[in-house]
Amino acid sequence: MQTRWDIGEPEKVTINEDTEQLKSELLTLNMGPQHPATHGVLRIEIWTDSEIVAHAIPHLGYLHRCMEKHSEHMDYRGVIPYVDRLDYLASMSMEWGYAMTVEKMLGTEVPRRAELLRILTGELQRIGSHLMAFGTYALDLGAFSPFLYAFDYRERILRLFEEVSGARLLYNYMWIGGLWNDWTDEQLDRVKQFCDDMEEEAKKYHELVSVNKIFIERTKNVGVMSFQDCLDFGATGPILRGAGYKWDLRKNKPYSLYNEFEFDVPVATGEYGTTVGDCWSRYIVRMKEVIESIKIIRQVFDKLEPGPIMGKVPKIIKLPKGEVYVRTEAPRGEIGFHLFSEQDGKTPYRLKIKSPCFTHTSMLPRVAPGQMIADFVATVGSIDIVLGEVDR
Amino acid sequence: MHNVDLNQLASLINKNIPGANATVNVAPDAKLDSSVNVEASHIYKIAEWLRSNTELPFNALQAITGIDWMEYMEVCYVLANFDVNASRELILKVRVTDRVEPNIDSIMKVYPAADWQEREVYDMFGIKFNNHKDLRRILCPDDWQGWPLRKDYVAQKFYNGMEVYPDAKMNFEDRDFIVRQAMIKKAQETKAQ
Repeated sequence: MQTRWDIGEPEKVTINEDTEQLKSELLTLNMGPQHPATHGVLRIEIWTDSEIVAHAIPHLGYLHRCMEKHSEHMDYRGVIPYVDRLDYLASMSMEWGYAMTVEKMLGTEVPRRAELLRILTGELQRIGSHLMAFGTYALDLGAFSPFLYAFDYRERILRLFEEVSGARLLYNYMWIGGLWNDWTDEQLDRVKQFCDDMEEEAKKYHELVSVNKIFIERTKNVGVMSFQDCLDFGATGPILRGAGYKWDLRKNKPYSLYNEFEFDVPVATGEYGTTVGDCWSRYIVRMKEVIESIKIIRQVFDKLEPGPIMGKVPKIIKLPKGEVYVRTEAPRGEIGFHLFSEQDGKTPYRLKIKSPCFTHTSMLPRVAPGQMIADFVATVGSIDIVLGEVDR
Repeated sequence: MHNVDLNQLASLINKNIPGANATVNVAPDAKLDSSVNVEASHIYKIAEWLRSNTELPFNALQAITGIDWMEYMEVCYVLANFDVNASRELILKVRVTDRVEPNIDSIMKVYPAADWQEREVYDMFGIKFNNHKDLRRILCPDDWQGWPLRKDYVAQKFYNGMEVYPDAKMNFEDRDFIVRQAMIKKAQETKAQ
């Protein structure tokens, strides 16, 4: 009866010494699937010992569409709208990863302008996604107004994407071989203006939330995911960098044209009395990444020249027999596409999606034991889950 | 993409784990990825060695991909080394030939990341992982029947009294894939005869 789940080290469960005499009983509490702090439809079965979490068992699948199966019956272009629906807060990054996978197998050369615009949209999407993470995280912890600030600026990104791709959330914009549509100079000027404004705005967020005493007290030393935990579970992205490890695919294994760009990889250092790897570290890494993304976008403008935005792609895409595994740095971590094809395959034989949020959610049973329930909410929020990607 | 000499790795595996029978599966084209095939019965020891060795360590498990090739099933382990100076990647493959009772050793104790990944492979392909602590379905409901990502899968007609593909709600163009399932099944039957 004690553990249905005992991968979390039992020593971590801090049970009051008196409980031996009191003979307290574990209470099962369901968090979700309609709980606002679970960011969608995740159900976490929590076994609590009074206010302390003894075990947390995530139950997935409420948004499962088995898109890996669906993609086996689509042609390679037809999969892109499905890929959008993985991480619906960062659709551009998902499309980019998938397009790169097929391009790699096809051997397509993407024109330089298209690559630069992909970096521009990808980084804008990263800012948008991190703003969402910032807003909802503050909302989880009881601060309402940061959410409104964040959505104000995210709206400007969405307007730009809407003009360029025709959609606000699920874009179908990055096609195999290039892009669907070009950016006009007027739109690029607005991106420049946005970068300037965003830099100022980020300072405001920093003063309002990041160094706010209540916020720091609420998130420091909570839900510590050490570097070893991250390696054990294969965590990537802000979680790994929040654990103090400088690892970013854009820097360590540059894809696209990232090797031409200069930017830093922000890592948590344990400022303001926090521990490296706690909720505040993961939060601050995201906020610093926003600044780095602005840096990258500014460099794009210096390199951008007129040119084609679509490479040479055959009308019907037929891939050779074989497999590729391509991973890219999405806002939530490394997304990997493992694509298998038959000889002259018109549809993927098998498409496996390695989703970062799936990996990060699997860390919850490791960090949850011993936390207060309210702290557990802070931990779930800090890993920034999108259930579309977890359940696929 | 790998930053690792697969031939050297295969010979190291063979040297350290007798019977591993590691062979390099060279991709016909440079743009495709090569992989290393090993014996399914030794996977636990190989994973243990890959994580703890000093010559070519792989400190993180990225993904476990199941794949159904009709005659046999394959489990691919995508491993990576998160090290700024020595970043590398590896696709390790094992073959599961038994379609009725497929099973293979779990590597959850070596890489805890394998826990959910193996559950997903079990959920989608029905491959049992021996010594896994909590082998349940993860994405499909616990009482779902069949293994969705197998090529010969046909969805159940009813689930808890609900029709799975109700005619009134079906997009008939999407029916294509059910038709294709039937074709695959037919092809298999003729092959068996």
